[in-house]
Amino acid sequence: MASFERASPALKETLLRIYNAEKPIEVDHHLYEFSSVEYYIKSSVSEPFTYLSISTPLLSRGVFPSHRLSPCTLRTIREISSDVLDIVEPPTDGYQLTLRLDFSKLPHNKESLKVITEVSSVQAVILSSQLKERLQNVNSWDMSQGMYVIREPFYVIRQPRKIVAVFPMRFKDHSDVIIATSFFQELMDVRSSGKWSKIPPCNWSPIPPPELRGELFEDLSTNGGFVSFDISSHHVEVKRLDKTVWSLLNFHGYVKHHVKCTRGFIQRRMRRRMDSLVQVLEKSMIENNEEIKRVKGWKKVKKWMKLTSKSKMIKGKYHDFTKKMKRIRFRVKIHGFGCFRRRWLTIACFSSSVGYSKLKKH
Amino acid sequence: MANPLKLYLTCVRNTLEAALCLQNFPCQEVERHNKPEVELKTSPELLLNPVLICRNEAEKCLIETSINSLRISLKVKQADELENILAKKFLRFLSMRAEAFQVLRRKPVQGYDISFLITNYHCEEMQKQKLIDFIVQFMEDIDKEISELKMSVSTRGRLVASEFLKQFL
Repeated sequence: MASFERASPALKETLLRIYNAEKPIEVDHHLYEFSSVEYYIKSSVSEPFTYLSISTPLLSRGVFPSHRLSPCTLRTIREISSDVLDIVEPPTDGYQLTLRLDFSKLPHNKESLKVITEVSSVQAVILSSQLKERLQNVNSWDMSQGMYVIREPFYVIRQPRKIVAVFPMRFKDHSDVIIATSFFQELMDVRSSGKWSKIPPCNWSPIPPPELRGELFEDLSTNGGFVSFDISSHHVEVKRLDKTVWSLLNFHGYVKHHVKCTRGFIQRRMRRRMDSLVQVLEKSMIENNEEIKRVKGWKKVKKWMKLTSKSKMIKGKYHDFTKKMKRIRFRVKIHGFGCFRRRWLTIACFSSSVGYSKLKKH
Repeated sequence: MANPLKLYLTCVRNTLEAALCLQNFPCQEVERHNKPEVELKTSPELLLNPVLICRNEAEKCLIETSINSLRISLKVKQADELENILAKKFLRFLSMRAEAFQVLRRKPVQGYDISFLITNYHCEEMQKQKLIDFIVQFMEDIDKEISELKMSVSTRGRLVASEFLKQFL
């Protein structure tokens, strides 16, 4: 399946590792992508070459056989780098294409990274070359149509002076259908504005377009409608052909990605709004809790006062104890000295815990 | 705030101020149970007449009162399919997190999009005026949020469509 990035990241990383290794290393990796694309990379110490085998779905009805690559595709692959890359015939068992890579012929500059990136995007080259062959002769009077099926099928219908690409859209969830429908309407609105006149006209309809009359019912049953693009000769000029083909191959993935991102965006907004609504409700509760906290504070003061009165009791008991100890220590007793001491030697206490001074009887 | 919406919200506010006079009332059917009577509806003498306030055919508010509880059910405006799914998603999102709101019901009453259940205990914990302000602001915010979400989704779609079509240039 086409993805937004042409080069396979895992394949690129493996090839770079082999290229950057100081001495030859043993590599025997199988890489799987999108559940249908398989890469097999083999590199050994005894051989100077690295072998890359690719298996990718190539289904198309009525145009090319599905198990072999067309000569045009093979020619496009050779053009990546004729020095570094060579096609091995026959390919490895179970794969459609085997390439022999000679990294010793890669230049030691930034060009090497560019070549490795192009080699990593060979699956994209294979997918797009089939569609390029169909789109290249727009003005041909050969009226034919074919259905391309990679994961999601789409139709390419040749008409006089244009080629129509029709995408039946299917979604699992009803909300996805509504979001996608809104997107398709925006697509039509944007295209119909003046500054996008050079772009292929696009159209969305909930029912199959007339060009698909005669196709199988199960292929035409959708819940997201049909999006069609009219490709003219202007859109398949040499400079634009690659971009046009890549955009058409990625249309399904693009729409699904947009729907997924929109759902995530809606979820984030809802979460933020919920937080703001909860804060409004909490304001009605917080003031009540502040009043309760003040009451609790008064209780705390009471507890503190209880603690201080307890500490006074402990002090009093300590004082009595030390007095007893002093009495035991001082064995010499002077009769009457205690009264003398209490009357003349004690410091007068001006603050009274009782709040009044007791008058003694004379 | 537009005039019709203001009148609608004022009417809802005044009705809530009159209806939110709740007191503790133990269940008459089962001993030592205390249930919101507006949900059970077993004793008609404990229920007041429900009030239905309609802004238009699509928007309405049902206020059902009893001696110890009050239920408010709202039907939100949904002009098209996109607003329909956005409202459904958002209100379901809130209902699933009803414990954060305390007064929100997990499942709306049949025929409505969202429901609140206020009991005498909520009135004891929260200020009555603030609670009414919350309900009214909720109604206002829901409308605003759904409109903003719809506009954001359309704007995003437009930007993404522009980016896609630029690839053909």
